[in-house]
Amino acid sequence: MQFSYELKDSYAEVKGAGRLNMVSAPKLREVVAEVVAGGASRVVVNLEDTVFMDSSGLGALIGCLKAARQAGGDLRISGVQAQVKMVLELTNMDRVLTSYPTAEAAFGDD
Amino acid sequence: MTDVLARRSYHGPSDDIAIDAVHTELDSLWDDAAFVPVMDRMTFTTAVIEAAANIVQHALPVAEDPVELGVDIIVRPMLLQARVSAYNAREPFASEMRPSMPGEESESGRGLALIEALVTTVTFERQDGTNTWVLTRDSTPES
Repeated sequence: MQFSYELKDSYAEVKGAGRLNMVSAPKLREVVAEVVAGGASRVVVNLEDTVFMDSSGLGALIGCLKAARQAGGDLRISGVQAQVKMVLELTNMDRVLTSYPTAEAAFGDD
Repeated sequence: MTDVLARRSYHGPSDDIAIDAVHTELDSLWDDAAFVPVMDRMTFTTAVIEAAANIVQHALPVAEDPVELGVDIIVRPMLLQARVSAYNAREPFASEMRPSMPGEESESGRGLALIEALVTTVTFERQDGTNTWVLTRDSTPES
């Protein structure tokens, strides 16, 4: 899975393309840790190209959410695809990881 | 069995490479079994990957030989079945087999509960140093 990030005016957008599983989950943690350490604590993880997520990937998102909040910000997700949505709902984590249609919309109301 | 409509198997070291390899086998299986509804493919794929990842992350060798992962997936007319095995593995602790969803703050421990939510039956077998999770999901082909 490939990760990249881009610093926007009021948030950082992290994009992940591929499968967010036990293999790639540590990489997501590293990328978000780097972004937060760089001073951007408002993070959007854009999942529009993430075709699969397992419980390890979900755990990484929760860890990243905690890291962003500890730095005084927040983490939101966008572009959630069907399988990822299913995992979020079955684990009841859709209530914790707020999903937005686009990365732009994620912090659009703040 | 004459009613096996499609089948894929994987056997190799229990490591990161195995997870992506099993996922590729699943994608290939659905190419051969396009009649399986998308929702069933999605749920079953997730359950199989969870079970395989559980072995890669947690299975400990029973002796000197390293743990190996085996996955055998078959599609029958009304049923999807996967046997996900840890060879040369110790028997899991009872606490590792308790499928309950942890609290919202927890970053791990959802795998087994997720598997239970995704499939129709989950059974565990242990024989000769091999732990096998048998997952089934009822599935009616799309007409």
